[in-house]
Amino acid sequence: MKPAALEINNLTKDFSVGLRGRKLRAVDGLDLTVGENEIFGLLGPNGSGKSTTIKILLGLLSASQGECRILGKSSQSASARLEVGYLPEAPYFYRYLTGRELVAFYATICGMRGAARKRAIEEVLDRVGIADAADRRVGTYSKGMLQRIGLAQALVHDPKFIVLDEPTAGVDPLGAAAIGEIILELKEQGKTVLVSSHLLTQLESLCDRVVILHKGRKVIEGNVDSLLLDETVEEIVVEGLKPSGRQALQAVVHEHGGHCRETSGSKRSLESIFMEAVQAPAEKEGSQT
Amino acid sequence: MIWERTAAIAANTFLEAVRQKFFNALLLLAIALVASARFFQQFDFGAGELKFIADFGFGALFVFGAVLSVFMTAQLFFNELENRTVQTLLAKPLHRIEFLVGKWLGGQLVVLVFVFVICFILAGILWWRESDLLGRLSVSEVGVRALVRYSDIFLYGFLQWVKFGVVSSITLFIASFSNTNLYTIVVAFFVLLVCQLQYIARDAYTATAEGLSRWLLTLIAWVFPNFQLFNVGERMVLLANDGLPIEVVLRITAYGVIYMVLFLALALLHFRRRQF
Repeated sequence: MKPAALEINNLTKDFSVGLRGRKLRAVDGLDLTVGENEIFGLLGPNGSGKSTTIKILLGLLSASQGECRILGKSSQSASARLEVGYLPEAPYFYRYLTGRELVAFYATICGMRGAARKRAIEEVLDRVGIADAADRRVGTYSKGMLQRIGLAQALVHDPKFIVLDEPTAGVDPLGAAAIGEIILELKEQGKTVLVSSHLLTQLESLCDRVVILHKGRKVIEGNVDSLLLDETVEEIVVEGLKPSGRQALQAVVHEHGGHCRETSGSKRSLESIFMEAVQAPAEKEGSQT
Repeated sequence: MIWERTAAIAANTFLEAVRQKFFNALLLLAIALVASARFFQQFDFGAGELKFIADFGFGALFVFGAVLSVFMTAQLFFNELENRTVQTLLAKPLHRIEFLVGKWLGGQLVVLVFVFVICFILAGILWWRESDLLGRLSVSEVGVRALVRYSDIFLYGFLQWVKFGVVSSITLFIASFSNTNLYTIVVAFFVLLVCQLQYIARDAYTATAEGLSRWLLTLIAWVFPNFQLFNVGERMVLLANDGLPIEVVLRITAYGVIYMVLFLALALLHFRRRQF
């Protein structure tokens, strides 16, 4: 049987606070399994233990109790991280390097050499859409570009398991949508993606499964579709209905034991309006050039 | 593979260091001081002038080299922590020993450039003054054709580089358990002072002290490297002295390397447990 992409058993992390060493529990007995080729959302408010969990699985923190395995290997071993790509929250990179130099540096650290390394660097820069700015110093990059170059360094060695900590934090909706597309592409390529965020609506359309953490504990875990489904309510979306027709429809629903809880015009999201407004002129310019 | 990752960290550290204003300012200041050595002394014919220039140059090399080793090592280490670039790095298949040794090597490369430039300038100044002095006095009058062993200036520079390597590894050891840059720098300078002056206490008290005091002094003498062993510049460089046999140079180098490895190992011991 193939090992799960990520297996966390009874994970607990205590931090010592103050001179007396009072214990602060950041993660409390967390059990979690992420299967291969899943997009898994790690959700929760600030301070819920998301980043601590991620740091433990990357070997940056040691667990007080429990264990964490990535593709069957202990997360504390450096060899386990050969198959892991990590985009930190609010990434900060060496400002004096160009984007290409930065990705090349991380590729070397991941053990890539020669022509394969060169090819992988060019491919990943192109894939995250930063090839045009690859020869600019990282210090001149905008927030969105930093996220993209961060993604490039996380993906350059073609890892099987990718950890993205708040990948869309501080990024505009266009950038967030682009990152979302890359995440979906990664799934198509058979990768497993663990994505942490407190921006729930962005993850709703991306994740196969999610876990919600609160005060270090797991409060909900499950398939996104089944979690979002409210079995007591059904939605009928109609178009071009006249007022008389609406009354008739309500009567039919009532006749069959139902109850129309709410009737209102359909609303678009502000995000979709923004995307339309910004993307349409950009596409028009693109077709003209 | 291990060496390539370590070399990548070292190269990146070197690049970061040489782009800092601190390194360039310190290098320029040291060059200016060594180059102006002649103007700081009462003019004196013969080896006296050359001795003064050599001593002045070696003094500048030690002071600025030590400042560079301590500040640079602490700053380069804490930059990684404060900017959180260490998190991205250690999330890669990188062992902590590779990170630590890479940082140390990068710093040592910077110090090597510094030592070489200062030795080169010092050799130039000595050559200029030696030519001037020998030009004024005929060979038959002085009895020699040269007053300075130029190759030994660089050999002495190498020994100082080894000493700075020990200073850097001590700084890295302190940084491995310290939480702030400032604390690391202050403690590292204190240790440097002890290493530089411990021979005075040892010479004064080991002969007279007994029991626990004697044990304590012996312990201090073992724990803190004796930097006085590296102060052999005058003997090496001026032809008026006998010079230093290569066996002694090798023994001093080995002494320094042992302490470097020891302090790096201690640094790793702490750094492996460090949480990010």
